[in-house]
Amino acid sequence: MTRNLRKALLGAVFTVALGMGTADAGTIKVGVIGPMSGPFALSGLTFKEGVEVYQAQHGKTVGGDTIEFIYKDLDAANPAQSKALAQELIVKDKVAFLAGFYFTPDALAVAPLIDEAKIPAVIFNAATSAITEKSPFFVRTSFTLWQNTVPLANYVASGGSKTVVTAVSDYGPGIDAETAFKATFEKAGGKIAESIRMPVAATDFAAFMQRIKDSNADALFAFLPAGPTAVTFVKQFSDNGLRQKMKFFSTGDLVMEPDLPALGEPALGLVTSFHYSAAHKSAANQAFLAKHKEMFGNNDKVTFTTVDAYDGAHVIYKMVEATKGKSDGVKQIAAIKGMKWESPRGPVMIDPDSRHLVQNVYLRTLEKVDGKYQNTEVTIVADQPDFGYKR
Amino acid sequence: MTGKGALIDQMGVALVAVLGVAAFFVFPEDLGFMTRIAATALYVLSLDLILGYGGIPSMGQAALFGAGAYAAGIASIRLVQDPIVLLGIGGVVGGLVALVTGTLILRARGLTLLMLTIAVGEIVREVVNKARDYTGGSDGLGGVSAAPVFGTFRFDMYGRTGYLFALTVLVIGILVARRIVRSPFGLACRGVKEDPLRVVALGGRPRRYLIVMYGISGVFAGVAGAVTAVTSGIVGLDSVSFSWSAEALVMLVLGGAGRLCGAIIGTVGFMTIHHILSAADPFRWMLVIGAMLVAIVLFVPGGIVAVLDPAIARFRKRAEAKR
Repeated sequence: MTRNLRKALLGAVFTVALGMGTADAGTIKVGVIGPMSGPFALSGLTFKEGVEVYQAQHGKTVGGDTIEFIYKDLDAANPAQSKALAQELIVKDKVAFLAGFYFTPDALAVAPLIDEAKIPAVIFNAATSAITEKSPFFVRTSFTLWQNTVPLANYVASGGSKTVVTAVSDYGPGIDAETAFKATFEKAGGKIAESIRMPVAATDFAAFMQRIKDSNADALFAFLPAGPTAVTFVKQFSDNGLRQKMKFFSTGDLVMEPDLPALGEPALGLVTSFHYSAAHKSAANQAFLAKHKEMFGNNDKVTFTTVDAYDGAHVIYKMVEATKGKSDGVKQIAAIKGMKWESPRGPVMIDPDSRHLVQNVYLRTLEKVDGKYQNTEVTIVADQPDFGYKR
Repeated sequence: MTGKGALIDQMGVALVAVLGVAAFFVFPEDLGFMTRIAATALYVLSLDLILGYGGIPSMGQAALFGAGAYAAGIASIRLVQDPIVLLGIGGVVGGLVALVTGTLILRARGLTLLMLTIAVGEIVREVVNKARDYTGGSDGLGGVSAAPVFGTFRFDMYGRTGYLFALTVLVIGILVARRIVRSPFGLACRGVKEDPLRVVALGGRPRRYLIVMYGISGVFAGVAGAVTAVTSGIVGLDSVSFSWSAEALVMLVLGGAGRLCGAIIGTVGFMTIHHILSAADPFRWMLVIGAMLVAIVLFVPGGIVAVLDPAIARFRKRAEAKR
């Protein structure tokens, strides 16, 4: 038995060694850094699924070059590790593009590297506005908190709420959301009753619910990063009877599609703003969902990170096309500035200045349709830029 | 220090230097990763100084590491850029944080002390998180840049300078640590670890020894943090996180606490396996790591060093027989 085991191990080592050493002519590599394990593993998985659906729809080759995606695990925000992984991808794997990046610090960490190597990095998620200012080689296909919050704040103001209490996670994106909401809402004539910041690691929100209650505001604006804590927050809001007392508004991070069954009945009717809902009605989204279902069995995990990665893959394909497979970051970035296309989320355009998407932001209501929960898009706020760029 | 440990530690320093330089030529494409190993090894070594030689269980070592990293990072942005001065700043700040917190928490022992170290870690983390104007908060402190070493060797993308710089600091660190643990002071600390009452009976002052050792450990951790900041150009909240403290403990236990080479072997072993596995299967590698750690704790409680010891003893016996 041990001999067999040893053989198997040796075999494995050889396979890995051979696989690593050879780079066929005509293969263009893309290094994807994201959380593939740990508490945020779902996001890493959706990155991979989004890319794979795109490759299944559009083929794995561009003009004779095969596009190969290499995945690197970065399970939590860890900029030094992010930089080390990026360095390895560039120096050892000789990737022509970097992609992924779930957390802001991980994206910021690679800025000096991509400047030196002159290779583009396509951000699939990290949503702090400042990132794309740090290097001309960053392109982002997700969203920013400013982008999604400003339309919501205007909507809340026009909906008759006079005073709002804000509750956000105490970190970069949370503060972006708070600032964006406050600036927009006050400009529209509203008043912020109280601004609450909650620790990112908080798992119990009872104390904050009390403060929200005591603020006696007409409505609550909340932001927490997508994931289990956001689910708890929404549940506790309903359980404390606050739903009857005040209106609830948040960005779509709190009601991402895979979490909807866990949120259940109490969350019905919640109004959120976001750039993508799996329930978006368009031919592009239907085709995308159908392909995803064919490949992975069901659409339960499809959410914004899936589409952000899907569009990221599109941008990478277009960059490869622009230089006919040659590695030229400057030319590739120039080529995609101002590019427009129809994404599963709706029409999008890469803003030449911020290298971030100009896209529709949708105001959605959480509904139950055919026994399944979904965010039904009610109002379209068209062509929203990143309001936080260079702010 | 006598006994079998002496030889392995003596060979250890030379071995780390030789293997480290050899690795520079053998794996020219992995320098970024190896730089992290070298800096982490120094960090784990700092934990070994207090846990292995002073019996202080700590789950808050990242507070000292992070203090050094942020101090060096902030200094490089606002004050100086010379990498060696930055290391000095990191070390001093790490040491000061250790002395201050050590004076407070080292009144306790055992589990209470362990909890206090966690508390210190959390406090430092929250302070760093709140002091957003200085530390960048959760976005991380970017733009840390150091001038070329000795004015000539620039920190390049391939990590050549970074690696040799980190390796040099590590080797010097081991030499200094060895000197300390073998000094009368180091022996006194070991005495406190074995039996504090007896040290008191002999006229020693256990708490003072431990506080000084904690401070020294803080200097080491701070320098390790500064090396990471200087070579990676960014400092994040992860460097003051609980999991970073815990990871140091895991690596130390894996290698073998109470032996300087244990810290090095544990770090190199853990990080290499971590690296290879997570590259081979980015989705399920944690499972294998977990199983491996359980196996080590169950079957080799002394750590990897304990496995190497018999082989070294045999080697020594043979060498003596020849003589």
